[in-house]
Parts: sequence; structure tokens; C-alpha cells
Amino acid sequence: MKEHETVVQLSIPADAQFIDVARLTLYGLAAKMGFSYEEIEDMKVAVSEACNNAVLHAYNGRGGVIHLRFEMRADALSIIIKDEGKGFDYKRVSKQAAPLSAKPLEDVKAGGLGLFLMEALMDDVSVTTKGGTEVRLTKFRHRGEGEHAHDSISPSSVQEQA
Amino acid sequence: MDRKRFYVVHEEQPDRHVVYIKGELDLAAAEQFQRAVEPLAGDASKPLVIRLEELTYIDSTGIGMFVALLKTRKKQGAPFAIENVPPKVQRLFDLTGVSYLFSTMNDTTERIEGQS
Repeated sequence: MKEHETVVQLSIPADAQFIDVARLTLYGLAAKMGFSYEEIEDMKVAVSEACNNAVLHAYNGRGGVIHLRFEMRADALSIIIKDEGKGFDYKRVSKQAAPLSAKPLEDVKAGGLGLFLMEALMDDVSVTTKGGTEVRLTKFRHRGEGEHAHDSISPSSVQEQA
Repeated sequence: MDRKRFYVVHEEQPDRHVVYIKGELDLAAAEQFQRAVEPLAGDASKPLVIRLEELTYIDSTGIGMFVALLKTRKKQGAPFAIENVPPKVQRLFDLTGVSYLFSTMNDTTERIEGQS
């Protein structure tokens, strides 16, 4: 059973100069859905990290395309970031996906940090690598601190607004 | 692309290098930041201070560069600090452990070495 969903799609060149366009689009859609400033900032970083990986690893600097699909539902926003390049080794990197403080300074490498951030900043992250890489990021509505007030609006007060 | 989204301003003071970074430090801005800061990081004769009050965006690309700078400075025994970190940037520094790395740098380097 698929609930009501609105989809927006965007394709950008796999070029660092266009990742800000993905962020701007995300900002517009997430703001329209009523996500908080903090939640939108979190999603901006997560989406950029997925695009960074596509630019750096999928096409080896040779031109390609990144497809973004924004699935807007009543309870969540999912962003699917897909490339058609050679698969980024998420399985290997996920073992290194840790905060920097877990390691002594001498051993710190930035690799794995992008995936760590995606996992830390989103509610759900899944990666499929078949004919390219597909990263699916999901943020649910009203999960954050201080957002619970919205959940407890009584049915009568909703009716009054309608 | 005409519209620049990232700026680096270097101010050489008698007793230290101050670098102001403004705008979005992402993958597109990484090379520009690297070019501007690398020579200053190599000058161990003066403390290096990077001020972030006008930094509007950072991700693992920029965070990785700060860690690399920190390593370079630590190797030289040269002081390095980041100042005026905006809350949303601070949040990412806390999440990734960069705050911890900087705190160990600025308190006592002995403490890190004494941990093992």
C-alpha cells in the first residue's frame, strides 16, 4: 500500500560546481514541507555527502550525471541520489564510518566521514550498488527535540483550523 | 561560474596569521581553501587562527581539511586555533569529533601522548 506521495526530480552534472544546486532544491522542498531549520541543515549535509561520493568515486572526474529524486510524503522526505558510475565501495567504507574522536589523531583519515555524517544526520540510510550507486536518505517529520508539541494537537483543534 | 560562494581573506598580523573564511566550504571550494591556507600552515613561526563566523556551510570535505591542517601544525609544534564557530558548524564538529581533536590540541599535547 503506497500512501500519497509527491515526487520532484533533478539531474545535475557530476561536477562539484553543481552540488549547491542539489542543496538549494532540497532547501526549497524541505521548507515547503515544514521541516525545521536544523533538520534542513542536517539534510543539506547528508545530500551533499552522497553527491560528493558520486563526483569523487563514481566517474573518476570524467563527466557523468547525478539523478536526485525527492519523495515528499506526509510523514517523511526521502531523497534518492543515484549515479551510473562504477560503484563506490560503501560496504568497505561503512566499516570505517566512525567519528574522528574514536581514533588517535595520527590515524585520522577523512574517508568514511561522509557516510558517518549521512547516518548521523538522517533517520534512515540505505545504499544499493547495482549498475551505479543509489543512496536513499530519509528524514521523518517531527522526530526532533521540541517537535513533539505538533504531534499532540487534538483532533478538535485541527478541525477548527480547517 | 561567476557567482562565488566562498571567500578566503588572509590578514597577516605582527604576532599571528588570521584567516577569515566566508560562505560555503564544500567540494567546489576545497581547492581554493587549500591553496590559500597551505602556505600559512607551513609557517611555524606564527600562530595560525582561522575565524569561521561567516562560514555558512561545511561538510566532510572541509572537516577533513581542518583535520589535515591540525595534523600539520601539531607535527611542527605550531599553535593553531579555530574561532567564532557558528552553532550549526559546531554541531558538525561535535558529531564528527573535530571539537575533541581541537580541545586536545589546545589544552595539552601531553595528554594525547600519555593516553596509549
